[in-house]
Order: sequence, then C-alpha cells, then structure tokens
Amino acid sequence: MDKLTILLPAMPLLSALLIALLGVRSRRGVARLSVGFAVLTFLLAAASLAFYLVEGQPHWMSLGRGWGSLYLDPLASLMAAMVAGISLVVHVYAVRYMAEEPGYARFYILLDLMAAAILLMVAAGDLVTLLVAWHLIGVLLYFLLGHDAARPAAQRYAFWTFFTYRLGDLPLILAAVLLYQAYGTTSLPALFELIGADPGAHHVVGLPLTTVTAFLVALAAFARSAQFPLHIWLPYTMEGPTPVSALMHAGIVNAGGFIINRFAPVFVHAGEVLHLVFVVGLVTAILGSVLMLMQNDIKKSLGYSTMGQMGFMFVEAGVGAFSLAIYHLIAHGLFKGTLFLGAGSVINNARKHDGVPHDDVYTFVVERKPVAYRLPWVVAAALTVVVPFVILGLSHWLVDDDFVGRQGAIILLFFGWVTGAQLLFVTYRLRAGSPWRLMAMIILSLVIVVAGYTWIGHAFDLFLYPDRAFSDRLYAAASIPLGTFEVLAAILSLAVVGGWAATYYATANGGLRSGEASPLRLALYSLLSREFYVADVYTWLTQAVLGLSRRLNVWLRWV
Amino acid sequence: MTLLLIAALFLPLFPLSIVFNGALAQLRKPVAHCVLLLVWPQLGVALLTLASHAVPPYVVPWALLTAGFYALRLLTVRDMGQWAGVLATSALALTWALAAGGADRAELHAFAFWFSLPAALVALLAHPLARRFGAAYAGLQGGLIGSQPRLSGALTLTVLAAVATPPFPGFFALLNLLQKLDLSGAVGVLAIWMIWGWAATKLLQGFIFGAERAVSSGDIGRISSLAYTGLLGVFVIAGLYLTGGGL
Repeated sequence: MDKLTILLPAMPLLSALLIALLGVRSRRGVARLSVGFAVLTFLLAAASLAFYLVEGQPHWMSLGRGWGSLYLDPLASLMAAMVAGISLVVHVYAVRYMAEEPGYARFYILLDLMAAAILLMVAAGDLVTLLVAWHLIGVLLYFLLGHDAARPAAQRYAFWTFFTYRLGDLPLILAAVLLYQAYGTTSLPALFELIGADPGAHHVVGLPLTTVTAFLVALAAFARSAQFPLHIWLPYTMEGPTPVSALMHAGIVNAGGFIINRFAPVFVHAGEVLHLVFVVGLVTAILGSVLMLMQNDIKKSLGYSTMGQMGFMFVEAGVGAFSLAIYHLIAHGLFKGTLFLGAGSVINNARKHDGVPHDDVYTFVVERKPVAYRLPWVVAAALTVVVPFVILGLSHWLVDDDFVGRQGAIILLFFGWVTGAQLLFVTYRLRAGSPWRLMAMIILSLVIVVAGYTWIGHAFDLFLYPDRAFSDRLYAAASIPLGTFEVLAAILSLAVVGGWAATYYATANGGLRSGEASPLRLALYSLLSREFYVADVYTWLTQAVLGLSRRLNVWLRWV
Repeated sequence: MTLLLIAALFLPLFPLSIVFNGALAQLRKPVAHCVLLLVWPQLGVALLTLASHAVPPYVVPWALLTAGFYALRLLTVRDMGQWAGVLATSALALTWALAAGGADRAELHAFAFWFSLPAALVALLAHPLARRFGAAYAGLQGGLIGSQPRLSGALTLTVLAAVATPPFPGFFALLNLLQKLDLSGAVGVLAIWMIWGWAATKLLQGFIFGAERAVSSGDIGRISSLAYTGLLGVFVIAGLYLTGGGL
C-alpha cells in the first residue's frame, strides 16, 4: 500500500500531461478527465490515511536518486487527504463555473499541476523535494491567479503574490543548504534524528544551527501564510477565478502552518523563534481582524479574515500547540473554502433581494433598537465571566488533566474564555421572549463548541504527536519565565477588560457618532483605510528599484 | 593569470562583460545569437580549467557583483534577444563562484550549459516574434496567450527554464552552487535568483498577458511546438540525470 503513495502526486500530474499532450479539445472531455483523476487522487489519499491509521508506522520511500523521496507520516497522510478532498471539490465546482471562460484546458492543466505540487510538498521526504514543490506552488499560483490574461488587475496582484512567495522561498532554501552543509544528508527523517541526537552540535554566525534554521523556516512560513507585513498580496488575490481563491484560502495559504509542523523537531530546540512566531501571529491576527471589519467587499473581507485566521494559527504554533495549528488549518480550510465557493450565490441572491433577516439579532445588532427585557445585570455578569471559564476548564481537565500545567495551554484557554465571555456579554442584551431560554441555548452551544474543539484538538495531538514527551517539550520550548508570563497575562487581561469598558461606554453614549471626529480618530481611520500604507511602501520601493535599473541601462547604453 | 583574465571575457565579469553583450547586440541572425550564447561560455570554462592558477578569492565577490548588477539591469530590458544576453551574463558570472568552490571541469561545463541553453532558446524565440510583429519587444504586442497559445506556452516554459525554475536543471545547479558558498555568498545568490524571477514575470507580462491586439498573426506550427517542448523535456531529464537533483 505504501508504494501506492507515490501515485498521490503522480495522479494529478498524469492528468495534466494527458490533457496537454493529447490535446483534448472538448470542454467536457477535459473536465471528465481532470475530475476523474481528482477522484482517484482523493481515494488514494483516503486509503493512505486509513493505511497509516491501521499500520501506525511512518514510511520513507525513495526513487533512488538524490531526491524524489516521500515520507508518509501522520502529518503527511492527514494533509494529503485534506488537500485531495479540497482539490476534488474545487475541480467539480470549476466544471461549470469556468465553462464560459477562455483557456478552459489551460485552467485544468494548471489546477492539476497545483494539486500535484501541493501533494508533493506535504509528502516530501527530503529537502530537495520539499524545495521543488514549495517553489513550484508559487509559480503555478502566479499563472492560476493571472488566468484572466486580459485583466491588468489580475496580472498585478498575481505578481504581488509571486514576488512575496519568492521572497519566502529564499529563507527556506537557505535553511536547507545550512542543514545539508552541517549534516550531509537531505533526508528529513535522518536529519531530524541527527538533530535530536545532538541539537547543539553546529553553529552558524555564532548561533545554534537549530535556532537559525527555525528562524529561516519561520520567515518562509510568514511569507507563505500572509503574516504582517508580508500579507498584502492575500486580500487582492480575489482578482483570480473563484475556484482558485477557494483552493488558495483553503489549502495553499495554510502551507506556513504545515512547514512549521514539518520542522517541529527543529523548533523544539528554538524557543526564541517560537516567541517570534507568537508575536507575529498575534499582530497579524489583530490587524487582519481589524482590516476585515473595514471592508465593504465580501471577497476582500474574506481575504482579511483569512489573514486573521492565519495569525491565530501562528499564535497556536507560537505557544507550542503545534497539533492545534493543524486542526485550525483544516477547520479553517473547510469553512473558508465553503464560503468562497458560496460567495457567488450570495452575491447573486443579494441582487434579487436584500437578504436581511428582520429578526431580533438584526434589529439589535444593526438597527440598535432598545431591548424590551433583559436579564438582571448581576446574573448576566456572573454568567459572562464564570460560565466560559467553567466550560473551558472542565472540558480540558476531562480530556487531559495535565493540559493546564502548560503555559501555552493557559494562553489558549484565556483566548477561549475571552471569546466566550464576549459572546455572552453581547448576546445577553438581546431582545427575546424568554431571556433565560435564550441564555441556556447560548450556553449549550458554547458547551458543544468547546467540548468538540477540545476533544478533536486532543485527538489531533495524539495522532500527530503520539510521543507525549515530545509534545510536552514543544510546550516547554515555547514557555517564558513565570514572572514575565504573569505580568504579560495581567496586562493582556487589563487590555481586554479595558476594551470591554470602552465599548460599553461608547455604546452607552450613543456610539459617539455625532460631532466632529478628533484628529487622532481621523489619523487612525486613514491608517486603516490605507491598510497601514504597506502596499504604498512596497510600490515606492519597486519603483525605486526599477528606476535605478533603467538609469543603469541608459548609462551603459544597454550593453 | 593572463588566462584567467581572458576567461573573464568569456565567463563575463564586468566590465569585460560589455564585449559579450556588445557582440550579441551586433549579431542579427537568431542562429548566430544561439551559437554565441552556447559556445562563448564553454570557451570560458575551457580557459578557466587550463589556467594553472586557482581562482583568487577576490573573484567571487566580483562575480557576485557582476551577476547582481546584470540581474538588476535585466528588470527593465524589454527586447527579448537582449534580455537573453543580459540574463546569460548574470548567470554565467556565477560559474566563477562554483569554480572557487572546487567544482571539477565537467561540473563547470555543465553549469554553463544549464544556463546558456535556455537563454539561447529565448533568443531563438525572439525570431518568430520579430517576424510577426516587427520586433520582439515586451509590451509591444500583449495578449499572445489568446491568439498564439503554442508560442506563448513555448515562451513561458523557456523563460521559466532560464530563471532556474524547478524541475529545470538550473534550479539544481544553483542548489549545488549554494552549498559551496559561505553564508553571505549564498544570500547574495538567492537575492540574484529572486530578481531573475521578477524580471521573468515582467517579460511574460509584456508578451503573453494583457489585452489582445486587433491584428493577429498565425501561431507557430504544431511540430515546432512539439519540438520545443520535447527539447525542454530532454533538457529536464538530462538535468535530473546529470545533476542527481542538486545538493
């Protein structure tokens, strides 16, 4: 069975070659061939995952050359199944969505090649194969995003994506070269074994090689997963065809989370880099969420939402919860893919009727009408603070009583508590015939979500990192001194509570909507509406480089 | 030492590289372009290996600066024939870094070939474009992907091969070079590689993307297209066989 895994990336590659070389002309023929191969690929990926679940042992397969090996471990088998599944859905969706677009066969060839490249990346068993796949994904995405060749905007943003991806390729290549120079092998399992045996054996520019490598891999992951300030390409890639947007937001952009997990045996010796990952993820999550709220275009809003989610994924990795990042990646991929593929229908429906549900939630949240009856505030406050805490604490304690002993887990619990409390804080004022019943339903929903998340998250942890000691070491690597941790937690708590108080004050005073805006608010608005001027800075830099190039050519008379 | 200096003319180091690019600019026949791009660097490698001196240490930064300088200039070159020459200059200068890293003669010949063949093919493709539109000039005739899909496909693949995209041999050759360099040298080569990619997208955007112009000429023939694709396929297989996948 493990030999069949080689067919995983080969299937879509074969489909692309057949379409190109046989010169399949009819659109139906192209779609049938490509979707047929996508079904086979998905079945193979599912069988591969099932095989691993039964067998329980990782496999490393090589073609016998210096590269071209595949490594089938829990991470690869899980990711391959997810990628093949999303690829199949996108293939089927595109059959009709792209039916009237020019370049139908070209689109399917590129889509198949992209599926092959992603599958090769997740199953890569050596550094060179990983680099080949990593590099090809950026190139193929450029052509997929620029599929509509006549639209200058599509070309412009496809280039932004390509350039950012190339920027992210470089640190990964450098990491691979440094690892090869130090250990003399490209095989990933062999490398990780050597690093585990003696992590401090090699140094580069006075720093441990593990720290430098982890830093370079993190840089590559930042570019690939649109972390601030390398995020600007992501919201603008909506110029590409919708199936490509779905594939990108559901699969390709998650590569950052994957690569960090793949190099977990390196990151476990690089706690400082995990702290950096946490900070970058946190900043990205906050800015992505803020910018999402500023948008009035559904697809761009989804783009910034993805940026925020990628930030959360990096936060999880940064606190040592690597398996949770993979769970997040898969869950986000599935729901974001669904949203993208449904966006067209939503826009179409909105043209026919406004689709506004004139119910209690709408009148309260949008129209801000006063409520008729609410719970006593003492009860509401108690519920808001206590209930999420109890639910989160109990569910985690039941699953893994050692969980709360980890700093990273405390941070995740804190985030969960803040989110839960905020949900209750907002909804307790909702107009309802029976506020107690409404609150009970909300709490029940929260219990289901939290318990489900906890159990599935724990199952992912056991599947991806069956060695509990290694998992504990990841959390330990991400930890900071206890005193610093407590101070930071206190500051964060104060910020959250302060935010709530400010929101409550603003709401109680009519939302400060009347009168002139202060210069500070105007400056903030400008900053946000210009998306922190990041794109402007990049454009200025690009123009400066091109100007220099032009001047040099003129001085040297183009020879 | 004299041999090394002459080799710097053939494996072009700035300012001696002006001779190579000047010669390319003077030639009108596409076949002559191809021959020059293929033979000139091989002569350089032959001279380099004949020289009794080892490559002096100061040549590596000189070579990297030349490669970076021509990569930067490549960004605004719009004539396809000239583009091939400037890219070849940038890439072939890196042969010196490989030689300083202790590569043997066969490795050096192969390295020069992996970069000069795609550049020669790009120069060759300028010919059908110039015949159809008067000049092979990026931006002059956009939207070729709609009217001339076979020519666009051949052009895209060749340009990707020229800028060392996997699985073309240039990619593995660069990986091999990187592991022979120190950290600063490797960072320099990576930056140059990135600029090549940027220049490639600019070139492709000027030819295959954009609005289709009203006047449309015929595409290249199916046989020419297959021959081109076949040649690139053989190039990939030969590269994989001979480089062993780099690193």
